[in-house]
Amino acid sequence: MSVDHWMTFGTFAEQRHFIYPRADTYQGVVINGNMAAYAPAGMASFLLEKTPSLPYIIDPQTHAFQHKASAIQNRQGNVKVSIQKLAQAYGNPIKDLAGVHPVLPRTFAADETLGPFVKRCLEFQRNILRNAMLESDVAKYLDVEETDIPPYALVVPYFYMSEVTVEQWLPVCKKSAEMAITFAPHEKVFGAVVLSEGALLRDGIRAEIVTAFADLSLAGVLLWVDDFDEHEASSKALKGLLDLSRGLRNNGQKEVLNLHGGYFSVLAAGALGGASMTGVAHGPEFGESRAVVPVGGGIPISRYYIPHLHARIRYRDALSLLAEKNWLRSADVFHSKVCGCAECRATLAGDSANFTLFGDSVFREVRRRHGIVRIEYPTNETKLRCLRHYLQRKALEYEFTSSATVEEQRQDLDEGIAEFGEVAGIEGVSHLHIWKDVLTGVERQL
Amino acid sequence: MSGQPNTKDKRYKRSEEELVHYIADFLRENAYHVRFEVPNMGQSTDIVATKGRWVTSIEVKTSDWKRAMKQCRAHEAVADYVCIGIGNGKVPIALLDEARRAGYGVLHCAPGTHQCRWALKPRLNKKLWMPQRRKWSETFGAIDHEC
Repeated sequence: MSVDHWMTFGTFAEQRHFIYPRADTYQGVVINGNMAAYAPAGMASFLLEKTPSLPYIIDPQTHAFQHKASAIQNRQGNVKVSIQKLAQAYGNPIKDLAGVHPVLPRTFAADETLGPFVKRCLEFQRNILRNAMLESDVAKYLDVEETDIPPYALVVPYFYMSEVTVEQWLPVCKKSAEMAITFAPHEKVFGAVVLSEGALLRDGIRAEIVTAFADLSLAGVLLWVDDFDEHEASSKALKGLLDLSRGLRNNGQKEVLNLHGGYFSVLAAGALGGASMTGVAHGPEFGESRAVVPVGGGIPISRYYIPHLHARIRYRDALSLLAEKNWLRSADVFHSKVCGCAECRATLAGDSANFTLFGDSVFREVRRRHGIVRIEYPTNETKLRCLRHYLQRKALEYEFTSSATVEEQRQDLDEGIAEFGEVAGIEGVSHLHIWKDVLTGVERQL
Repeated sequence: MSGQPNTKDKRYKRSEEELVHYIADFLRENAYHVRFEVPNMGQSTDIVATKGRWVTSIEVKTSDWKRAMKQCRAHEAVADYVCIGIGNGKVPIALLDEARRAGYGVLHCAPGTHQCRWALKPRLNKKLWMPQRRKWSETFGAIDHEC
């Protein structure tokens, strides 16, 4: 049972990772609409030159216009240029309201308003990168079919729904989907369900969403739960995700791609989760969960992905756990017990002492009110090592889930619990317990 | 009346920074070289005290010693001795129990007199991982110790 592995495009600096560890690792790339609007030539070059023939979906990011104006403004109080370009492509009512007033469900009450907006949104996705690819310098060296690449699917304009606003936004999303299907009868059309954890937790809301999407002839649905960290989520919330996703799959008739998911979602898409999703996307950096409204980054620290825990944890915590397990005593032990991926082998180069390279950093002195504070930053090489190891492991997780039996997948979770339960404490492995219970339908009595 | 707070008054609430300096004075009197705010794997160690080849890390807290216990975990990979410095009126029994179990030392700085003493001496840390220690030595070696 194959699980589609998608990656979300963040910045141009990350584009080299879309062919790592292999050129065919990813089924596709999710590109933010504002990025496509802002730098179509760069995105076209990425698709043609860096990732030949990688399918793509443009996330239209229509939700950006429903938040308060400051969410899309820069520090000077102007609408960010990329969002401005997106607004221009979408036309009115978005164009005039962007940065002035959020759009409301009633903004789209009239079909005469909603229809042209939906049409322009689809038109944007259909053509923005396709045209840029046809006009690119490399196009003349390629056959037409190599440059005329439409998106994998067109995405219906969507809006973020919380437990309070779902009643008002769901009809708009549904109507948009109905219109999109008629405007693009020969193309693959995906709906999008973007909601809060509060909405996800409510049985009635999930049922309402599933019902609304069930009778639409959509090819698939993009799913995004706001700021949803599978490692921290309760079993109730994960059950909700599974239930919603299964419902949207409509007995396997529709594709469901979780836009920001981790290993739980990968398992949900595999045999253990009964193919509740068809694919899962993540970003190269911090991309297994994402808030709908962007938040600040904070100080970057090195994180090492512990394969058994299926979690990216701070380098110092990883070191503490691995040292306690005595798995840093030699490179051979490390590779057999922790990770034998190409990046770890190259980094350790036969000497487990080189594990320190995953935590290498430099410090800068910053003057604060009470004196000098020294703040550490991982070096670029450290960030790259951690990232490449992470991407290696993610590729292995998708492959494992696509081919392993239910029993093997369950055993893998059990091994994580058994290996790290003692050193990480019950809390350190509780996400594995919860994932296993939710995916195998176990109900705890207390 | 000078308007200055009386730091000898037991009720005077010391800042963490003041506490760090009282404890550092005590360490210097005991022939340690002292460095402040030494980065360690994304954390900052309040005091790193060296004597000969031995390295002691000290997390200082005015009250929240449980947080210090957590922070000390990262020091186990790099320091020969791991300690917590506190400024409570009395040393909490629970802190002594937990520190004893972990092998950490406890330095107590009394309110009012600011006199410091070892409430619990640390045990030699056996969890040290030499490759990380070498990296850390390079880091704190780049920071001047304060006289």
